[in-house]
Amino acid sequence: MIGFFMKKQKDLSSYRILIVDDEKAIRMMLFDYLEVIYQVETAETGEQALDLLEKSRFDLVISDINMPGISGPQLLREVRRRYPGTKTALITAYNIDEYIKTAKDYLITNIIPKTVPFNFAELDSIIYGLLTGDIFGLSRHLLQDGRMVDRICIKSTKEAREAREHITGIFNRKFGSSGDMKLILDEIITNAMYHAPVRDDGAEKYQEFTEIELEPEEYVHIEYGYDTEKYGVAVNDYLGRLTKETVLLKIERQITGEGLLDDSGRGIHMSRLFADRMVINIDPNKRTEVVLINYFSNKYRGYKPLYLNEL
Amino acid sequence: MYKTESVSNIEAFAEKIHLSKRELEMIFDVTPECISVINKDHQLIRVNKSYALSAGKPIKEILGRKCYKVFWNLDKPCEDCPVQRAFQTGNQESSKKAVLCGKNEVRYFETCAYPVRGETGEVVRVIEFIKDITDEKRIFEQLIRTEKLASIGIMTAGIAHEMNNPLSGISGTAVNLLRMPEKYGLNEKGISRVTAILESAARATTIMKDLLHLSRKQNSCSTLVDINSLIVKTVNAIHLRGAGEVQRRFNLDESIKLISCDPSKIEQVIINLATNSMQSILEKKARCLESGKDFSGLLEITSVLQDDKVLITFADNGVGIPEENRSKVFDPFFSTRPAGQGTGLGLSICLKIIAEHGGRIYFECFEDSTVFSIVLPRERKTQLDSAIHL
Repeated sequence: MIGFFMKKQKDLSSYRILIVDDEKAIRMMLFDYLEVIYQVETAETGEQALDLLEKSRFDLVISDINMPGISGPQLLREVRRRYPGTKTALITAYNIDEYIKTAKDYLITNIIPKTVPFNFAELDSIIYGLLTGDIFGLSRHLLQDGRMVDRICIKSTKEAREAREHITGIFNRKFGSSGDMKLILDEIITNAMYHAPVRDDGAEKYQEFTEIELEPEEYVHIEYGYDTEKYGVAVNDYLGRLTKETVLLKIERQITGEGLLDDSGRGIHMSRLFADRMVINIDPNKRTEVVLINYFSNKYRGYKPLYLNEL
Repeated sequence: MYKTESVSNIEAFAEKIHLSKRELEMIFDVTPECISVINKDHQLIRVNKSYALSAGKPIKEILGRKCYKVFWNLDKPCEDCPVQRAFQTGNQESSKKAVLCGKNEVRYFETCAYPVRGETGEVVRVIEFIKDITDEKRIFEQLIRTEKLASIGIMTAGIAHEMNNPLSGISGTAVNLLRMPEKYGLNEKGISRVTAILESAARATTIMKDLLHLSRKQNSCSTLVDINSLIVKTVNAIHLRGAGEVQRRFNLDESIKLISCDPSKIEQVIINLATNSMQSILEKKARCLESGKDFSGLLEITSVLQDDKVLITFADNGVGIPEENRSKVFDPFFSTRPAGQGTGLGLSICLKIIAEHGGRIYFECFEDSTVFSIVLPRERKTQLDSAIHL
């Protein structure tokens, strides 16, 4: 925990972030908050942002969606074309569900909601992941205050069942509720155990609804934990077969009300529907992590963000 | 030969008359409306089965008695009696009336009177149709409310969206200022003012979220829910200053078991209705305390299974809803509470949620109690319905 904080102090000051928003209060708010840790500049329009990018290097551009002149998605596409190393994210006060199609078209994988009050802690962990590529692990999403994280390794159907009971049991006892975690965990663990492992011919190795034992080198790894404002789980498989295109497609189907009866990807659907936050991290062919978070109070609920990272 | 033929003709003719009489009697009796034939003295000459059923007496005990006594249990003719008017004008007449049925229910009736003329052209009888229009009336009222809500919703959704952006900036900036007051040269007084800004922004956000809730077509999911335990759990979880002094009584129909609904939405409706009731009771208590009267508040929550529907009522003996406010109760932003306490959107949201469930919500005011009722279908038919319990 201390290490995490130290790293922040030491390494992060060299990162350069460009904030693009036509609303002055938002620009200033993000600037004031981020400049304590990073080097930050702001632009009022997309055009102004491109001028600034011409003059100096930025590691991350965070842009509003609706602006006079070129729009946020157009700007970010241009940034990625000109500066492939620069990371990008959108930020909006609007309903993010309405921009999933845009996200698919422009291949935008991170959309941050402007909640009231603004969720600075979440901004911290998302920006940190984007800049450092250090995206995995539940503790990155939790505050230092009251943080607890524990891990379970699963190698069989029986262990999966026990883990689910254990985790939701802890949440229930401690917080009086586990939301719909049991339901979602069931889906996500099923995905990791039954749908991720495939044979050489591409067919799924294990048959769903049967009791299985994973092979010695295969395992599913679950982290669970909480802090003073939320609790969550992170389900990992070490196959990394999910792609960001699939995730965007599944989220789009969820929003249009389709997809619930889809054979695959229902876990993503249900996670986004029932958990307050869903973060998906992918290291292609190495690791997939699905992070699910519920807040105790409803102040950060509302529009659900899009957090999808592929290394 | 001639004679026999004539007899058989008459028999056949009589049989025809009998048949047509039976047909007419059948039509008369199977009609769900209450039909009666009444003379000038308000005496019942003939009634159908529906009439007898509604009056709760066998037909033979009804005939010859006064219509107002039998049907309405009154000692003199109803005010604005359409039968009387039909006798006078010779035209078709009608009227509507509300009647208290049982303790907590008002039902609405429409009465139509059709004059029957004798040989001389004078009106000798009046045929009266009485129809229970309670359900129709409630559906119609809810339709109007829902439509009103929809148009307001579309209008305000745009505004609310636009508000979110500056509000996020306002509150986020205030948070930054409070986090590092020295950096921005903020003294004690400045901090308290910025805190006030933050609180105001939070309140504006609550209003906005409620508004968006009204206008947004939200993802909704149905699961099978034990509605009785949801009611008890939710009502007991309400934390309101002074709520402990309000006596709560649950009359729950145990035959209901599971109904299909979105529990978090229904919970919201229960919270809204029960909180309103409790606030009304607490207000009455405060008033009685001032004038030195005795008062004990009672919130009575009832659930009843009615065929394929569940009726849930919240009856309180609080201050009630003044006549002039009754038509505005479901209007967005209508609130009698001081500014800052509630957004005035609670009941509008309840209305929307219940409409989404294919149910109904309405209220009735009695002399010493106010009753809010929700009717929910046991089976909710939605696209998501079958899928959730996979």
